[in-house]
Amino acid sequence: MDAIADGPQVQVKFITQQRQFAIPETAIQTPARLRRYGLSQIINLVLQNEGEKQRPFDFLIEGEFLRTSLAEYLEEKNMSTENVLTVEYVESMLPPTPLSSYEHDDWVSAVQAHRLGGFLTGSYDNHVRLWNKQAECTQILTGHNGAVKAVQWLTSDGDNGTLLSGALDRSILAWEYSHADNSHSVLYECRGHTGGVESISLNATGDKFASGSTDATIKIWTTIIPTVSDHIEDVTETRKKRKTVKEDRVLKAPISSLNAHTGPVSAVTFSPTSADTLYSGGWDHSVRVWDIENSVNITTKNCEKVVHALDYSQHSGLLASGHADPVIRLWDPRSEDSSVVKQTLSGHQNWVTSVSWSPSSSYMLASGSYDGLIKVWDIRAKGALYTLSHGKATKKVFSIDWSNDILLSGGEDNQMKIHKVQDMTERAEA
Amino acid sequence: MPGTRPTRKATVPKAAPAPAKKTAPAPTKKAVVAPKSKKRTVEEAQDDSDDEFGEVAIDMASDDDDEDMDGDDESDDADDFPEEGEEGQDMSAADLDEDEDEDSEGSYMDGDSIADSQEELDDEDAEEEDESDFDDLVEDDIDPNFGHNLNEPLAPESDYNPIVREYPEIDPVYDSDSSTEENDNTVGNIPMHWYDDYPHIGYDIDGKKIMRPATGDELDKFLSTMDDPDSWLSAHNYKDGQDVKLSAEELEIIRRLEGNRIPDADYNPYEDQVEFFSSKTEIMPLSAAPEPKRRFIPSKHEAKRIMKIVRAIREGRIVPRKSGYVPPKPKYYNLWNDSEDKPREEHVMHITAPKMKLPTHDESYNPPAEYLPTEEEIKEWNEMDKEDRPKNYLPQKYNALRNVPGYGQFIQERFERCLDLYLAPRVRKNRLNIDPESLIPKLPSPRDLQPFPTRLAIEFLGHEGRVRSISVDPTGLWMASGSDDKTVRIWEISTGRCMATYHLDELVTSVVWGPSKEVAVLAVACGYKVGLILPEKLFSPELTLHSEEYLKAGFANVATGEPNPKAQWKQPTPAEFEKGIRVWVHLQKPVKQVTWHRKGDYFSTVAPDANNSAVLIHQLTKHQTQQPFKKNKGAVQRVMFHPTKPMFFVATQRYVRQYNLQRQELVKTMQTGVKWISSLDVHPAGDNLIIGSYDKRLCWFDLDLSSKPYKTLRYHQQAIRSVAYHKRYPLFASCADDGNVQIFHGMVYNDLLQNPLIVPVKILKNVHQRVDALGALCVEWHPTQPWLISSGADHTIKLFS
Repeated sequence: MDAIADGPQVQVKFITQQRQFAIPETAIQTPARLRRYGLSQIINLVLQNEGEKQRPFDFLIEGEFLRTSLAEYLEEKNMSTENVLTVEYVESMLPPTPLSSYEHDDWVSAVQAHRLGGFLTGSYDNHVRLWNKQAECTQILTGHNGAVKAVQWLTSDGDNGTLLSGALDRSILAWEYSHADNSHSVLYECRGHTGGVESISLNATGDKFASGSTDATIKIWTTIIPTVSDHIEDVTETRKKRKTVKEDRVLKAPISSLNAHTGPVSAVTFSPTSADTLYSGGWDHSVRVWDIENSVNITTKNCEKVVHALDYSQHSGLLASGHADPVIRLWDPRSEDSSVVKQTLSGHQNWVTSVSWSPSSSYMLASGSYDGLIKVWDIRAKGALYTLSHGKATKKVFSIDWSNDILLSGGEDNQMKIHKVQDMTERAEA
Repeated sequence: MPGTRPTRKATVPKAAPAPAKKTAPAPTKKAVVAPKSKKRTVEEAQDDSDDEFGEVAIDMASDDDDEDMDGDDESDDADDFPEEGEEGQDMSAADLDEDEDEDSEGSYMDGDSIADSQEELDDEDAEEEDESDFDDLVEDDIDPNFGHNLNEPLAPESDYNPIVREYPEIDPVYDSDSSTEENDNTVGNIPMHWYDDYPHIGYDIDGKKIMRPATGDELDKFLSTMDDPDSWLSAHNYKDGQDVKLSAEELEIIRRLEGNRIPDADYNPYEDQVEFFSSKTEIMPLSAAPEPKRRFIPSKHEAKRIMKIVRAIREGRIVPRKSGYVPPKPKYYNLWNDSEDKPREEHVMHITAPKMKLPTHDESYNPPAEYLPTEEEIKEWNEMDKEDRPKNYLPQKYNALRNVPGYGQFIQERFERCLDLYLAPRVRKNRLNIDPESLIPKLPSPRDLQPFPTRLAIEFLGHEGRVRSISVDPTGLWMASGSDDKTVRIWEISTGRCMATYHLDELVTSVVWGPSKEVAVLAVACGYKVGLILPEKLFSPELTLHSEEYLKAGFANVATGEPNPKAQWKQPTPAEFEKGIRVWVHLQKPVKQVTWHRKGDYFSTVAPDANNSAVLIHQLTKHQTQQPFKKNKGAVQRVMFHPTKPMFFVATQRYVRQYNLQRQELVKTMQTGVKWISSLDVHPAGDNLIIGSYDKRLCWFDLDLSSKPYKTLRYHQQAIRSVAYHKRYPLFASCADDGNVQIFHGMVYNDLLQNPLIVPVKILKNVHQRVDALGALCVEWHPTQPWLISSGADHTIKLFS
């Protein structure tokens, strides 16, 4: 402490919202030349954390991460060193560590992890695969006629479960699987789209799901397992059926169709809090908010770029979107303004095709891009917190999913990668 | 006249004796001449005085305006009395003649008659002035002086009275006048020695000889002189050979002549001057006439003249000076001003000569010691070539300025200076004062023209040959590409995934998606044939089925007609059918291009080698082929259907022709000015088209404007291979063999008055590597997004967003 006590000093009051790391809220004389690491040492000293117990902290001044020394910060902001500086500190997120990669036969276009440990991937080889944490492929669900572009867990208790997959063959299949006897079967086939299914999202209550397709429609389906096929009036379909569709599948029709989009719908996501609120984005450059109960397009927000991915955070209430440009845009879906982007995150070099909020933190967000990189963002920081390489630089990342402490990513290199991310639950709870 | 009488009276007695004088012998020649000259002088003097008086009179006249005080000379008379002038002149001339006569004949007239005649003259010439009378009088009264007074005793000088003189009474005795009995010699004025040899000396008036009078000898002479006390006063008259006794007056004249005095004793050359005008202020005015009225009233003449000027000013003929007028300063050359070098106001282009260097310390006559050269330096300086010397002098020291010798180099130095100035002409360099920014046309910033593609997003890898042609399907989800590896591939645009590959047996030169969203069909030009492919799986079963039926429909029709040799519609083999090929159209020559009509029923093919059937239009639903042109003008490069109207564009090597298909006529010929057209695209609105050429040019034609290019853009370094308009955004692009793709903003306004706005917005450099001198081969825009897709000879296809 003595060694670092020379040079100009600033009175700093450290506060935190994480109670387990709380220290007395008194101003501490701090050398102004200290950076994050030095400040972190101070907190650890006060907390009397030593050795293994030492934790890294990040420091926020007025909602912004401190990335320079205190003196530089004060100089930049033109602030006096005389006043007491209030600095909030949070436990740093540790860098994600790659765990393992799961080999596929073809491009991995859709990934989703389940809370309980199963991983679901859809691939361009028309198969849906189930994986366990040991990187073993437990099930290969075969039935699609085109590249699987979207997967969605329905229910799972570890061994048995149901899931949905959408593919370029314009159909959504609901699957039932059981690890116990290593069996799987198609529960029903959702028919109605005339273009490839790009995205599937299950609502909060789990009774409905929505699908976005390149035919510019969003269709809402129930998750009730039908016993008989819904009547789907299509003469051509019946003739095709002989060749392509297995007779034993139970067909299902959508309960409603949302047709406001004028281009392919590339992303749909339900609000985790409201079962009837759906967000969608498409090639018509719009991000739309829907009330599916009434099939009403509540608000439409426009930007100049194609929307490739959407995710809604229940913690921050913000909608993150990935576009056909290297920018991630954050929207406040409640605002009425049609084109106000709340914040943009730039750092990628190519299209951002997938975004995923941290399930626990209201600030953390991950994105995957065609530049082959996965970036982890804290929206309070200016740049990305961490940049993870999925594979080769030129290999696109098609899909990512952040679930608890696991970050899944699938891409052009036929791999699904798993990164271990520090669980932010504690921080959120704090 | 009465006023002048007393003077006359006074002079009359002078004139009166004139006839009496005639008795006197003819004066000697000398004597005769002298009085004449005297008379002349007097006359002149009189004239002079007259002139003076005349002048006075004139002066007075000028003073007294109209008062007629004209002078005595005839010219004045003539002026004043023009009607009588001639007469007057004549009269005066007569007077003169008379006067002359009087000189010789005066002896016949008595004084009264002279006076009378003079009076008569005066009467006749009523307007004759006193002065002329006076003239005559003077003449009269001088002439008689000679003859008359010869016999009179010479009056003592003291008796001389210039004004009135008493003359002795004429005594009318016999001797007094010899004129009656004297026989005068009439020989005239000849040298008398001509008669020396004759006994006579001449002839009298009757023609009788006048005999030489007898002359005594010397003794007689002597005796006579002794006898006659007056003999020394006599003079010999050669004419009559007698001695003539000189009168006292004659003697007086001789004496005066000898004394160099004026012969006439009466003449006083120093008469008192009458001062008509002097510094003296006279109490009484010269004229008692009252001041005329006109002195007190404004002059009408002046008023007239002033009004004339006023009128001229009013009419603007006389312009008053402007208020700001500053009279020019007199310019003097300040000889002694040493502050400025400029001798005078300079010419605009004058450039002052550069000043010479000022002398420094070492040029002083007494430089400080450190400036003086050492021995070595002097030696070195002397050895150096003249041109190499740093200075053309050596510093020298003198004790005093008076010791400084004359500067020998002066002329040389001046000469070199002049030479320098002459041989190195000073040139005024006109710097262009133009802001380079202002020369750049005012174009909007590319930043404001977004969106346009800027960066590479997706690469489509898989082809193993040059990708000659690409096409995006109307939904914007799929892209087809045809390559030299004899394959056609279909790609998912959003991911770059190759969804299908069709292996064909020839190089694929052109792939085009059918423009209709109801029919999914891909036309592929491959060698001598055109294939129509229905890509399965990509489209919904409904659309696929519809397309299938659409493609099949034609086969039923074709069976009826006889096969057209130029284009044979054929069924594919089952294997090909499995792959997705539905129809083959076999042509006679290799097909270079396929293009669709906007409705998706007709498509046109270009086979440049097929001469007249190079361009064919095929109808898909009926499987029919038409040959629109009986004869083709030039080698057809590209064809294109108009996006809205039944028009057809045909690009040959140099021209683009627009045909109306309904009326079957040529609408317009565009003269491109390029040497070889490579590509053609029509603006989606149909009023503009662009062409690319192998000579690096891109020409934009406004079909409403003219047949010449509206703009010609030459930005590529190599041959342009392909040009394309975006269907929605105001963008167009070109690609060339240099591997670059250039993107332009090309806004076409609905307002017909506004010309299209063309702004280069982006150059994508080295998009494709050059392989065998080929770079980027084809560009295509995404139908809905501002994305550009380009294919190249390096086997790649790239999407830019």
